[in-house]
Amino acid sequence: MSVAAAFKKSHDLSSARYAPGGMLMALLLLNGCAAHLQATKLTTTPPLELAQSVELEQVPFYPQERYQCGPAALATVLTWSGVAIKPEDLVAEVYLPQRHGSLQVEMAAAARHHGRVSYILAPDLQAVLEEVRAGHPVVVLLNLGLSWYPRWHYAVVVGFDLQRDLLVLRSGTERRDVISLELFERMWRRGERWALVAMPPAELPATAQELPYLRAVLPFEQTEDWETAAKAYAAAWQRWPESIGAEMGLGNSAYGRGDYAEAAEIYRRLLTQYPGFAPALNNLAQTMAKMGDFTAGERYAEEAIAAGGVQNKVYAETLREIRDHIGQ
Amino acid sequence: MKTMRYVVRGVCGVLLMTFTMLSLQTPAYAGMVGTAEVIDQQQAVMDRAQLLTALNREDVRAQLIAMGVDPKAAQERVAALSDAELQAAAGNVQTLPAGGDILGIAVLIFLVLLFTDIMGYTHIFPFVKKTVH
Repeated sequence: MSVAAAFKKSHDLSSARYAPGGMLMALLLLNGCAAHLQATKLTTTPPLELAQSVELEQVPFYPQERYQCGPAALATVLTWSGVAIKPEDLVAEVYLPQRHGSLQVEMAAAARHHGRVSYILAPDLQAVLEEVRAGHPVVVLLNLGLSWYPRWHYAVVVGFDLQRDLLVLRSGTERRDVISLELFERMWRRGERWALVAMPPAELPATAQELPYLRAVLPFEQTEDWETAAKAYAAAWQRWPESIGAEMGLGNSAYGRGDYAEAAEIYRRLLTQYPGFAPALNNLAQTMAKMGDFTAGERYAEEAIAAGGVQNKVYAETLREIRDHIGQ
Repeated sequence: MKTMRYVVRGVCGVLLMTFTMLSLQTPAYAGMVGTAEVIDQQQAVMDRAQLLTALNREDVRAQLIAMGVDPKAAQERVAALSDAELQAAAGNVQTLPAGGDILGIAVLIFLVLLFTDIMGYTHIFPFVKKTVH
């Protein structure tokens, strides 16, 4: 029976109010009936750029140990991205013994821990396919069971063929788990459409958007991994040359690793693009002070205060510090 | 009564110190405006978020240990989480989806899921082959 026919049948049965079978069916399938599927549209009228079938055969496969699809899926994409790692190395980083599974936030954090940018895709089936088409395997959280009886599972999407309504996963103990797009979407939707790519910092996800991407890079700054942060900010700046956040991040990464001359150059460039941008003026003031040029530092700090903004307390502090130095 | 007050004060002091130390992890470089502030320009929100982050860190660490993670590993795993991830995990480690696998299903459920598998609504048993149209 086709899924469409099953759909119709479930509706018919649920309308037969006192039929116990109908009630059961309705209960079971309520979740499935709730909204239309993107898969239907994608397979009937595939977008031109996704019309060709794709399969990333070089993506490795790690058959999972009991409960450990998290480490297996993560090792799959990390190995693809050039990190030499095995699932068993990741167990201590993402596995929760009492839950018999791994949390999404820890999957993302662990990929970052290995120097990869964890980018959560927009909750959109087409975004998943576009990443695969660009050559990036996608970790997805699926609910293999039902909304009221969830069986959470991580798998990696490595291919699709819209003409034939197929999706290829590295999943569990199956190297090539081939399912229909509709089935995939049902299971993915029950997992709240969570999908992650683990990118080498110099490469952007195909569907990256400016602010979500910059937010995905920020944690590297917080853990002072300046090398990785700089590469990722540089990639972002190349894609979005107008991005204040990307350029600021580049400057801050240069400052963070002690490359003050480069930091100063970046802040100046940012200021010619956005004159009077106070955070850049403040950081340029700090940078000049680091290079021993307190006069220039004082001037930029004053300009930052004049420009003002929510960070005014920081600018005032910068000016005070620099004047203390000059006074000595 | 007086000793009680000292004890309370002492405990508060220790807690305060812990939180201060924890929240000190965030600003990586004094006097600089971080990229985070440029992207999400709201200082008041940031200050509150920082305090929450410290509380969340402690909460998530305790929950990870309760879920069977080795205390030392828990420390490192919490350190790897970003502020936003901490916020998502705090209080929810026991209820958030945890992707694992599909073994250990009771008989009744087995039959129900076998049925839904065959219908093409679920995908639990590899031996149920999906017909692809």
